[in-house]
Amino acid sequence: MKTLKIGENTLQLAKIIINNLKASEDLGILKCIQCGMCTSICPAARHTDYDPRKIVKRALDNDESLILDDIIWNCFYCYTCHSVCPVNNSACEINQIIRQKAIDEGKGKSKVAPFSAYGDSFLEFGLGAIPNNFFDDLVKDYGKEWLELKVSLEDIREELGLGHILLPKKEINDINEILKRSGFKKRLEIIRRGGG
Amino acid sequence: MKKIPDKDILLFKSCLVNVEYPGVESSTKFLFDKLGIEYITSEKQSCCTGLGHYADLFDQFSTSALAARNFGIAREEGHKNLATLCATCYAILKKSANILNKKDDVRNRINKIFEDSNIPDLTYNAEDMDSRDNIFHVAEILFNKAGEIEDLVEIDLSGFRVASHHACHYCKVHHNDTIGNVRDPMVIETLARACGVEIVEWYDRKTSTCGNGFRQRYMNKELSFLVTSEKLISLKENKVDILLHMCPNCQLQFDRNQKVIGESLEVEFNIVCLNISQFLALALGADPYRVVGVQTHTVPVEPVLDKIKQINSCFEV
Repeated sequence: MKTLKIGENTLQLAKIIINNLKASEDLGILKCIQCGMCTSICPAARHTDYDPRKIVKRALDNDESLILDDIIWNCFYCYTCHSVCPVNNSACEINQIIRQKAIDEGKGKSKVAPFSAYGDSFLEFGLGAIPNNFFDDLVKDYGKEWLELKVSLEDIREELGLGHILLPKKEINDINEILKRSGFKKRLEIIRRGGG
Repeated sequence: MKKIPDKDILLFKSCLVNVEYPGVESSTKFLFDKLGIEYITSEKQSCCTGLGHYADLFDQFSTSALAARNFGIAREEGHKNLATLCATCYAILKKSANILNKKDDVRNRINKIFEDSNIPDLTYNAEDMDSRDNIFHVAEILFNKAGEIEDLVEIDLSGFRVASHHACHYCKVHHNDTIGNVRDPMVIETLARACGVEIVEWYDRKTSTCGNGFRQRYMNKELSFLVTSEKLISLKENKVDILLHMCPNCQLQFDRNQKVIGESLEVEFNIVCLNISQFLALALGADPYRVVGVQTHTVPVEPVLDKIKQINSCFEV
């Protein structure tokens, strides 16, 4: 049992979480009674040491080692815990906020860097795409027909009466302006560099 | 029950539907046209940031700024009811609408970005977009027309056993806005029933995630596949022919990975994956290759089409 010092701000991490933009307005972290509903239905908890109930406990205990703990990267973001919590808490949202802190504080950048190409695609086309650095692995699992689909996609879309997917140039420029001013472009470069 | 619109709809395009299962979009358009649902698409619309957002690459502020831009486009185009093809778009757009309506400082900062970027027409005013009244999943728009769909069915699909996979990011993220019980929503079942098909009402792991888990499929594949295989095994035990989807992420997970998971378990699954729009379009007589787009699927849909042909003399491929 941790001994609390009088005057120590024991809820510092919980308050950071509550004030984060990702936190739902009525996030019930301070109402958590550790009932374990979240853990009982969590797919990551079923197969790994990830335990949403413990994640919430450590956040409430102001345990900052959580930010550096690899265990946070096992959450599926499926929101199952979030949908069943009796006090409207969300281990899923808490986990997302902790990961953002991990990115800000160093270690998380290498975890996210493999997804940098998604950001590049967004800046170039205004569209999301599976990062191409994963393609070799995907082709092994999906089969070569998947690559053939990429080649014939335009013909198939035409056959289906669908237009091209590209945005007009002006719109892509606007998106780039927005993402420069929102800080995303800089963030993307920091994450990419942090990936080593 | 929330009020579901049938006009002034911007059909919100999805990056994964675009390149993996474009037949989901053409099937939805086929259904909207048949049902007299008034909608447009816009070439100006950007993606929601989906995979980038939930892989932790995008920050919430940037995602919300891009949502505000898309909301502005919907408004400019006079179609401010959004209908998404993907559950991730649905969840992300609703979250951003809530942030833009409730957090004055965030809204003001985003509007300042629009002003500085010389796109002041996109300025977002509080309550321009209501998360509950303006943002829907396509399956909800169709759910509202289940009675009319029943009258339009041309193809008998009653020989198939189907089950639903309700996407987590439809059911669980904004669970107060989910149609039906969040623990067992029956949106897909209601629509499938309109086609007279046999439905597996409940199966083990029915409400489990598909296992994609955004980063998990790419960085933590073993864990991702463990979760997917649990559901596939349960579907196999329940003798399911067709798994009905409402999210391209889930469809990708079950369709593209099914063979490799089956090989590792030494089980042949052969469970056909269709989006509920594709399934309904088939029932309403749409061409499998020119509308439904079965040619982009990995688990072959042809056995299903052959069986349809045996039962329905009018069905031609």
